[in-house]
Amino acid sequence: MADEVKLPRLGQGMESGTIVKWLKSEGDQVEKGEPLYELDTDKVTQEVEAEVAGVLLKITVPQGEADVGTTIAVIGEQDEDVNVEDGNVEDGNGEDGNVEDGNVEDGNVEDASVETALEVSDDEQEEGSPGPAREAERERGREASASEQITEIRTPAQGNGAGARVKASPLARRIARDRGIELGSLRGTGPEGRVVAEDVERAAAGGPTPAPGAAPAPPGDIERIPLTSVRRTIARRLTEAWQAPAFQIAMSADMTRAQALHDRLAERVKEGEAKPTVTDILTKACAAALMRHRAVNAHWAEDAIELHPNANVGIAVAIDAGLVVPVIHQAERKTIAELAAARADIVTRAREGKLRQEDLDGGTFTISNLGMFGVEQFVAVLNPPQAAILAVGAIERKAVPTDGGGFEARPLMTMTLTCDHRTLDGATAADFLRTVKAFLEEPGLML
Amino acid sequence: MPELSYREAVRDALSQAMRKDEDVFIMGEDIAEMGGSMGVTQGMLDEFGPDRVRNTPISEIAIVGTGIGAAMQGMRPVVEVMYEDFLTVSMEQIVNQAAKHRYMSGGQLKVPLTVRTQGGAGWSPGAQHAQQVEAWFVHVPGLKVVFASTPTDARGLLWSAIYDDNPVIFFEHRTLYGLKEEMSDELEPIPLGQARVHRQGEDVTVVATGRLVHEALAAAEEAEKEGVSVEVIDPRTLQPLDEDAIVGSVKKTNRCVVAHEAVTRMGFGAEIAAVVQHQAFDWLDAPVERVGAKFAPLPFAPVMEEYVVPHAKDVLAAIQRTVQRDG
Repeated sequence: MADEVKLPRLGQGMESGTIVKWLKSEGDQVEKGEPLYELDTDKVTQEVEAEVAGVLLKITVPQGEADVGTTIAVIGEQDEDVNVEDGNVEDGNGEDGNVEDGNVEDGNVEDASVETALEVSDDEQEEGSPGPAREAERERGREASASEQITEIRTPAQGNGAGARVKASPLARRIARDRGIELGSLRGTGPEGRVVAEDVERAAAGGPTPAPGAAPAPPGDIERIPLTSVRRTIARRLTEAWQAPAFQIAMSADMTRAQALHDRLAERVKEGEAKPTVTDILTKACAAALMRHRAVNAHWAEDAIELHPNANVGIAVAIDAGLVVPVIHQAERKTIAELAAARADIVTRAREGKLRQEDLDGGTFTISNLGMFGVEQFVAVLNPPQAAILAVGAIERKAVPTDGGGFEARPLMTMTLTCDHRTLDGATAADFLRTVKAFLEEPGLML
Repeated sequence: MPELSYREAVRDALSQAMRKDEDVFIMGEDIAEMGGSMGVTQGMLDEFGPDRVRNTPISEIAIVGTGIGAAMQGMRPVVEVMYEDFLTVSMEQIVNQAAKHRYMSGGQLKVPLTVRTQGGAGWSPGAQHAQQVEAWFVHVPGLKVVFASTPTDARGLLWSAIYDDNPVIFFEHRTLYGLKEEMSDELEPIPLGQARVHRQGEDVTVVATGRLVHEALAAAEEAEKEGVSVEVIDPRTLQPLDEDAIVGSVKKTNRCVVAHEAVTRMGFGAEIAAVVQHQAFDWLDAPVERVGAKFAPLPFAPVMEEYVVPHAKDVLAAIQRTVQRDG
């Protein structure tokens, strides 16, 4: 019996993925665990391994986007018959097992499972009286019915990319999907502002949207860059985040001792080990502080606030395609050397586009550091559903008043914490940031 | 080509079947000497005699029950239930007996029974004599349901109903009996389960049954003047339903209106809407609109009867809602 290869759900919220290429061809022998194809989700591109061994009989989705659960290939034995249409999700129309069109042909119901449910000898029970005697058969009937229904459950198609739901007719959605047009960017002319097919057609034809007062763009000046799925995800998630009631608090930490610690650790690095950076010390400080201020290590879950047992710290990494936030899990349990190794690993893989879904899942807090670009301070946008994100600027030598009435140059680093006010209040956030500052200024306190 | 009225077309199908086939006979209240309450069977007693054109007592349960018995014995009876309102009296026979025997006997029995019935508003016969109850029967597995809207359809579909091996409820609309249409001498059977496209269009599909087919065609004429091109489809057979024709049309026009004289709520149109939204979801550019009678018993007063049941203007309004623009 051939096995259908279905597009997997690699993370929460994943509804579809784009098949970049197949690493095997039809007819190839495939071993279990062998990389089968490359899949681009809205977060990462990764190789997906075969779950069974056999011959790759058919590739039904050679390339392009498919919904989770779609049959994309079939693996089986050589010369086995394959009965899958190209790229189709099962229609789920439930035709099988219906008494056809109200017309009972010779009393037979076609579906075997129903048939067995009905094939019950009459001597077990009085005719026509439903009762417990046939419970086993009834159960089989229910199971058969349930298994039919499962095929009817279809994963919802990917949303239109914008945060809020855009009112659009199904036809408009289909055309927009086919042509890669963002529905959110269109003005709907249907009832209640619904985007209808005509609106999408107009946009696709490059015609004027009926938005009032839009000045025509000079010809030839604009380069249109189609959105990648990463870009689209960034846009969607950050637009979502922007709608949260956020506030910021900032503090500067004197980094004298943190730098000294960094220098000593850097000296002791052995051949082949990752060299620790100030960011790693910062990660350690944040993880330790999060364990003491669990209200910050939280998710907004719409109907509840979730406090997490581990500090899973996301590090914002700039890559060519945009921005990704791989996560160092259980950062509070790791030494600075271990954090350096973990950070080096995910940053390298992020830049090479080799992150896996699990690298991106489960973050409880995020650090975004633009210090290396000389940015003194900045405000980060929340990374929902996380309660807070820390924006870190460059370490700069600044004049600090001394007790003696003079000034002293000290390496200061400004940290700005953006908080989701639904989850966190100002005093809680300030408490946390003060702890981070204390840990950086006196790293021994982390112990 | 003779021009036959809807009434004559029904009579022609019955007569031709009875001439061809000794197994076909008709039975019902006042169908013999009187020729039926609507005159459909006039003259048939003279041609076929009292054995094959049988008057019955006023007992719908007996009429249908006798028909079922005769059908199971190999006859092809066509029984008439004078008004479809009175189908309530024969419900047990239709739903629990006629619809079930073939299935429950594992195919050893067949019930090739045709139940002709008629109804509809327009003549103010009141709440108990003018209902449209086709939705009750499309809900019963084992029955076929036909609703003819033109003379040609009535003749061709009735023939197929008589020769179908399953019980068929055959609805006629009383306001259509005088409607005339040219048709060939030769009776052309129309297969059950095949819709008819009355009018091609590009912008909206109207799926209509019975009297509303004609209202929809009138509405389509009006809409055309406003530049809206309307396709009108009559499923003709409500069960089995020609889903492909309906869905195919909606995929072309992207908008759908369903229209019947029966009460809108839980009506046959709801099923069409469900089929369309499921099979043509990605082709819909507007919600499926439904046109039907208001949720009320039919009043005697002509003005109120007109108010309760739908007309061309209601279909037109629904068409306009599907193409409406705000901005």
